[in-house]
Amino acid sequence: MTALALDLDEAVVGRRQRTLLRRARFVGVPLAVALACLAMYLYVQSQDLDNIERRIITFANIRRAAGEQIEIALWATALTLVIAVPLGIALTRPWARRIAPIVIAVANIGQGIPAIGLLFFVYIQLVRSGSTATVLGMAIYAILPVLRGTMVGLQQVDRGVVKAARGMGMGKGEVLVRVEMPLAVPILLTGVRTALVLTVATAVLAAFIGGGTFGSLIISGQAQGRPLAVAVGSLGAASLAILADWVGGIVEDLLRPKGL
Amino acid sequence: MSEPMIRLDKLTKRYPGHDGAAVDAIDLAMPKGEIVILVGPSGCGKTTTLEMINRLIEPTSGRIFLEGEDVTHVDPDQLRRRMGYVIQQIGLFPHQTIAQNIATVPRMLGWDAKRTNARVDELLHMVGLDPSRYRDRYPKEMSGGQRQRVGVARAMAADPPVMLMDEPFGATDPITRERLQNEFLRIQEDIGKTIVFVTHDIDEAIKMGDRIAILDVGSRVAQYDTPEAILSHPASAFVEQFLGAGILLKRLNLSRVEDVEVATGEWPTIDRGSTGEQARAQLRKSGRSHLLLLDDQRRPARWIGAADLERSDAGTGDLSGLGTEVQACVDLRATLNGALQEMLLNANGVAVVVDREGAYAGTLDLDTIIAAIRRMRAASPDGDVPLDPA
Amino acid sequence: MTVSSYLQRRWDVVLQLTLEHLIAVGIAVGFATVVGVLLAVAVYRNDRAVTVLLVVVNTLFTVPALAYFGALIVLVGLGWTSAITVLAIYALLPIVRNTVTGLREVDPAIVRAATGMGMSRFGRLTRVELPLAYPVILSGLRVATVLIVGIAAIGAYVAGPGLGELIFSGLGALGTARAIPEITIGTVAIVLVALVLDGLLALLGRFSTPRGLR
Repeated sequence: MTALALDLDEAVVGRRQRTLLRRARFVGVPLAVALACLAMYLYVQSQDLDNIERRIITFANIRRAAGEQIEIALWATALTLVIAVPLGIALTRPWARRIAPIVIAVANIGQGIPAIGLLFFVYIQLVRSGSTATVLGMAIYAILPVLRGTMVGLQQVDRGVVKAARGMGMGKGEVLVRVEMPLAVPILLTGVRTALVLTVATAVLAAFIGGGTFGSLIISGQAQGRPLAVAVGSLGAASLAILADWVGGIVEDLLRPKGL
Repeated sequence: MSEPMIRLDKLTKRYPGHDGAAVDAIDLAMPKGEIVILVGPSGCGKTTTLEMINRLIEPTSGRIFLEGEDVTHVDPDQLRRRMGYVIQQIGLFPHQTIAQNIATVPRMLGWDAKRTNARVDELLHMVGLDPSRYRDRYPKEMSGGQRQRVGVARAMAADPPVMLMDEPFGATDPITRERLQNEFLRIQEDIGKTIVFVTHDIDEAIKMGDRIAILDVGSRVAQYDTPEAILSHPASAFVEQFLGAGILLKRLNLSRVEDVEVATGEWPTIDRGSTGEQARAQLRKSGRSHLLLLDDQRRPARWIGAADLERSDAGTGDLSGLGTEVQACVDLRATLNGALQEMLLNANGVAVVVDREGAYAGTLDLDTIIAAIRRMRAASPDGDVPLDPA
Repeated sequence: MTVSSYLQRRWDVVLQLTLEHLIAVGIAVGFATVVGVLLAVAVYRNDRAVTVLLVVVNTLFTVPALAYFGALIVLVGLGWTSAITVLAIYALLPIVRNTVTGLREVDPAIVRAATGMGMSRFGRLTRVELPLAYPVILSGLRVATVLIVGIAAIGAYVAGPGLGELIFSGLGALGTARAIPEITIGTVAIVLVALVLDGLLALLGRFSTPRGLR
């Protein structure tokens, strides 16, 4: 199964364009998000809210929803990293040449699982806590991009560089830490960024199993027939996801080793 | 014979599932301070042999001795820190600066920062790169030739007695390669390392090697000797075939101008201060067509012909404006091949020979070179090596 | 109730939902392909336009599905239209990206040769560039299809078509015997649909790509 990747668009355009793209994103993205949120705020202020709307659309609710969503995403991303990076390193070692394709195939199918089904399944069968179930489900879901990023990142390291390092008397561990990993970082980070965006975006599904997030504004707004609440929740969820991608892009730029 | 720097004893590498050994019980002794070339057709096992010396490839059987010490089973990482290693792909760390790259082994050996930095600068100087300009650059900011220089510097960082080089100049263009080879030979004159050098290029082998091991399939040593001996006495048909055509021209690369008789009286010379009249007299006396004008440091300046002198103002004119500039000028240490090329480029088929200071030492003509070739042929076991129609 | 007994009793429902799922995905991918390829063709020669298009499409891709559904409930209301619109938006990114990549990676020498033989710009595009980019475009289509098969599950929330309905119905029936079988069957069926479509598109690529490009 071919995997999705949000990341290759920068490879399509040239180096000059990439700088342009980066700059456009750096300023444009948060600006657009801020404007949209401001517009929504002014619109909500101008409306005459009824009782139910006033109960759903509060600053406290929005803050809590954002907090829950970020928390779920960060835990899920952290869990993903803890599993996928060591796994990716292990699978690129020579002794794992046989099992690597199998693991990749399983991870591929893993990503083909609909997030919502996975989430409900984890919730019902494993943990009856909305946010914990979401963290677990998202981690399973986000393993693939990080695993792939780690493996591709390590595999594309120039064999000559590794050979030279070994030839100078670096041990295998040293080569991994000081040569292979730094050189794999750019591609690894792209995977991490994909995972982060994926988890922030899908974290809203936690609302279906009582895990909060902006999804809960959407769902309760829908359940009570209050489109305004649905709109606020949607904008919040979208803003968070877009900002996560934005932060991911900046982190990627900052952590990329100089000289690459 | 004193203990060689490196000795391979029945060193063998077999790969499972392959018939025959990649390297079949090679015995080879590499003397201290020499450049030993492993040369052979592709797939003969020369790189495998090299990589068994620093145990990047573990031998199946046989032993490796480094300065008499059996290192077949010592810790390979420790062993490798005692040997420099240069490969064709160079393998500079792209995420580290040039200085960090060169400091790799010193850092692993626990040198302090001051000593390491001093060493980095020293090495950059040695390979002809200005430290203040290059130490903080990244590999991608340098040309291929510069990167290869850094690769050599990195391998020499901890001053290892041994360097292993696997086609180190193979990926560069011919002109850069020539320059890198010459620089490396110059550096080697000062440092006198024991160098094991793999190449598939017999010309590079002849140029760089103190000793050449010509390898056949399975790393079987077809001949192991000095370049001169191999060229004049190829041990087998395989060696002859590998040396290829133009074997005599290759030998011309080994003989230097100072080895043959440089004619001192063939052509008349005249000092800068002389008059046209003196020059004409000189020329008449010699019976040649041209004479050679030397400058104040006795460096050859111009070829002046009889016709040029006729045209000048007899007795008064300045001779330095006459004739043509001397172009074919070779050092006493140049190879005969180089001299031959200069000669062929020059109109009157003569190369002017100068000494180290550039002062006139004599002339060399085609006959002298042909005589040298005759002597080489006579020295060969079978005198019928075809003489290229030069 | 076990998965097999549930299937025995309600296989017709599962089959119908699977068909709905396929139809919804098919419409969305078809729509996204037309729009995506046209957009890509419109911009691929201009660096700046490509950058803008990719930033926009990428941002659209980043937004959570539930946020789209929320917005569309407000704008369009519940039903198939909302679900399929959202799926098409997600399918856009892989298709646009791959089409632009494919078109930009065509060897300039070939395009110059075509121009030199007197092909018009339209002729170059339809007879040289698009055919050469076809394998890359098709692989984008494949990624898009597999991707939205999974996302379509959430469409059931807005009363959209497909197997998501089983999953949501299972969640709604939490505590009853049919909850687990419904969620399991819905999820597994979606994975199977994705695998089958992926395989079919791979086969299509195999047979429809000219031998010279394989």
